[in-house]
Amino acid sequence: MRVFWTVVARELVRFIRSWQLVLVVLYAFTMEVYIAGSGIELKPRNVAIGYVDESGGGLSQKLLHYFHEPEFLPPVAFNSQTALSQAVFDKEIVLGLIFDEDFEQDFRKNKHATLNVLLDATAASQAYTTLSYLSNIVLNFSDTAFSVELVTHKLFNENANNATFMALTELLSITTMLSVILTAVVFVKEKEDGTWDIMLLMPVNAKSIILAKSFSQVIIVMIGIVISVGFVVFGAFDTPIHGSFFAFLVLAFLYAFTGAGIGLFVAAIAKDVMQVAQLSVVIMLPLIFLSGAWTPIYAMHPWLQTLSLLSPLRYFIEGTESIFFRGTPVLELYPYFLGVFGVGSILYLIGFRKIGHLF
Amino acid sequence: MKLSIVKAYVLKELSEIVRSRLIVMVYLMPTMVLVLFGYGIRMEVTGARTLIIDYDQSHYSRLLIEKFTHSKYFTVQKELRLESEALDAIHRAQSDVVVIIPESFEKRLLHGQKIQIGVFVDAAFPMRGSTIESYVKGVVLNAASAIQERRLDRDAHTIAINQRTLFNQAMRDEDAIVPGLIGLVLLIAPAILAALLIVKEKEKGTIFNFYASALSKAEFIAAKLIPVFFLHSINIFILFLWATYWFDVPFRGSFWLYWVASELYLVISLSIGMLISIVTRTQIVAVVLTVIVTIIPGFLYSGILMPISSMVGFSRYEAHIFPVMYYNHILYDVFLVGEGLASEKTQFYLFILAFYGLFLMGLGSLILKKELR
Repeated sequence: MRVFWTVVARELVRFIRSWQLVLVVLYAFTMEVYIAGSGIELKPRNVAIGYVDESGGGLSQKLLHYFHEPEFLPPVAFNSQTALSQAVFDKEIVLGLIFDEDFEQDFRKNKHATLNVLLDATAASQAYTTLSYLSNIVLNFSDTAFSVELVTHKLFNENANNATFMALTELLSITTMLSVILTAVVFVKEKEDGTWDIMLLMPVNAKSIILAKSFSQVIIVMIGIVISVGFVVFGAFDTPIHGSFFAFLVLAFLYAFTGAGIGLFVAAIAKDVMQVAQLSVVIMLPLIFLSGAWTPIYAMHPWLQTLSLLSPLRYFIEGTESIFFRGTPVLELYPYFLGVFGVGSILYLIGFRKIGHLF
Repeated sequence: MKLSIVKAYVLKELSEIVRSRLIVMVYLMPTMVLVLFGYGIRMEVTGARTLIIDYDQSHYSRLLIEKFTHSKYFTVQKELRLESEALDAIHRAQSDVVVIIPESFEKRLLHGQKIQIGVFVDAAFPMRGSTIESYVKGVVLNAASAIQERRLDRDAHTIAINQRTLFNQAMRDEDAIVPGLIGLVLLIAPAILAALLIVKEKEKGTIFNFYASALSKAEFIAAKLIPVFFLHSINIFILFLWATYWFDVPFRGSFWLYWVASELYLVISLSIGMLISIVTRTQIVAVVLTVIVTIIPGFLYSGILMPISSMVGFSRYEAHIFPVMYYNHILYDVFLVGEGLASEKTQFYLFILAFYGLFLMGLGSLILKKELR
C-alpha cells in the first residue's frame, strides 16, 4: 500500500512541476468549456436576410416585420435580383426574399400569391430551421382568422439553453481526451526512457504500480472536472441540476477510469509519444462521435447504432444528461452505471494485462 | 539554403516516419474522420419518437394523427391514453415529443373556436428540441388549415413559397457537411503530426545536434516540414475521392483551385503545429495544446454548424482570425457553388491563405532558438 501511495504522489508532483502542462489542462477544463458553451449556437440566430421588393411595399413590408431578432438580422434591401443573388453567392446573405411586381395584387385579388425565396443551403441545419420558420410565418400570415394554437412545453431545459448543453458536452469530450492522453503518456514516457522494463523487473508488485500510475491521472482529471463543473457549468452558466450531484461524481469517476483503461491500451501499443498522439486521436474521435454527443443515436445508421453500444462515453453522456436535465432518480440510473462500469472494466483489464507484460 | 544538407535531413526525417508505424496513421486518420463524421453528423431530425394522446377520438383528430404518421420527420410510437405515462416515457429518454389533442378538438375546429394543442418536447438536446417543435407546428398548422379550408369551402388568402434552394438543392446533409469536414481534417491531422517534430528532439536531447550543426534555422524548419508536407499532400486527393465518390458530393468548380488552395492550407496547418512545437517544452503539452487549438475552432468556425454571417461580436472577429473560414469558403465554392476565381471574394481569400502561410512560417523561424536557453 505504501508503494501505491508513493507512486501516486510521485506522479502528482511530476504533473505539478510541469507548469506548461498544468496551465494547458486548466485551460482545457475552464476556458475551453466556456468558449464552447457561449460560442456554439446551433439554432438559427442572426440569419442574414436580404430582399428585393418590386411590389411597392404594403404587404411585403408587413411580412418582413415578422422576421425579427434574435433569429434574424434586420432585412437588407437590394435593388435588383442579380445584386441579391450575388450577395447569396458571396455568403453575405443566407435567406433572400423576392417580392415580384404582382405579389400584392395576387394576394388581394386572386388570393394566391407566390413568394420567391433563395436559400443558401450549405449550412443545412440552419437552412432547415430557417425554412420551417419561414413557412410558419407565412402560414400564420395567410389566414389571420386561424384558430389552432400550439402550447409548447420544453421539458428539462426550459429555454432550450444551448450554452449549458454545449458546455457539458465539451466537458465530457475533454474528460475523455485528457484521461486517455495523460495516462498513455505517463506510461509511454517510461517506455521511451527505457525505465518501464526495469520497473516491471523490480521486486515490487507490478500491478500496484500500474494501478497507482493510472489512479494518479484519474485524480488529476477528477480535480479538473470538479473545477470545471464548479466554475463554468454552475458558475458562469448557472446551470440547474435536477438530480444528484454525488451520482454525477461517481459516474465521472468510473468514466475517468475507463479513459485511463483506454490510455493503458494505447500505451501498450505505442512506442513513443508521437504514436500516442496519433493513436489516441484515432481511438477517441469514434468514441466521441458514436456517443450521441453530436447526433442523437437513433438518427444514426443502424450499424453505427449497434457500434455505439461499445462507446462508454454514450452511457456517460446519457447518464449526465439524465442527472442534470431530467432529474432521473439515482436508482433509475443503474443502466448508465452498469454501461460505463461494464465497458470500462473490460477496456481497463485489456490495457492492464497488455502493459504488464514484459515482452 | 544548402540544398544537399536539407536533402539529407529530409531523408532522415522521412525514414523515421516511415519506419515507425506512423505512416499508417497519416492516411488512416483523415479518412476515418471523414467517413465517421460524414455518416455520424445529421443535422436534420427525422423519425422523432412521437407519442400522441388523443382525448377526442374523432374523425378530425385521426386525420391529424395520420399527418404525423405519414411524415418522415416523426415516428409515431403508439397512442397512449394517459398523460403521466407519456411524460414518464420522455423522462426515461424513450420518447422525444408528446402531442396532446384536447377533448373537444373536432367540435371547436368546426365552430372556428380557439383550440390549444399541448406539445411536450424533450429539450435536453436544445437544437433537436426546437427543430422538433417547429416541425410539429408545421404539421399541425398545415393539417388544420387544410381541414378548415375544406370545411368553409372558400379560398383563404394564401401565400405559397416558391423556394429555390441554392447550392444544395436536395438539402442533403452530406453535401453540407463533407466539404467542411475536409477543412477540419486538413487542419487537425497535419498539425498533430508537425507539433511533435521539434519538441520530440528537445525532450530527447537530440536538439543539440541542431544547435551544434551548420544548419540554419530556416533550413531546419524546411527539413522538418517538407516530408510531412508531401505525405499529407496525398491526403488532399484521397479526401477528394472519398467526398465525390463515396458521399456523392457534387464538384462544380475547378480542381486546380481546390488543389492549390488545399496545399496552401496544408502549409498553414503544418506551421501551426510547428509553432506549438517551438513554444512547448514537453511532448505531452504539445499534444494536448494542438488538440485544443485545432479541433474546437476548426469546428466552430468551419461554417458547418453556423454560418459566419450569423456570428456577432467577438466570435465574428475570432472567425476571421482563424484560417478555417477562408479555406472553407473556397471549399464550398469548388464543391457546391462553382464560381471559382471569377468571384473577387475567392481571389481575395486565396491571397489571404498564401499570406497567412508565409506569415506563420516567418514567425516560426523568428522565434526558434538555435542556442541553449
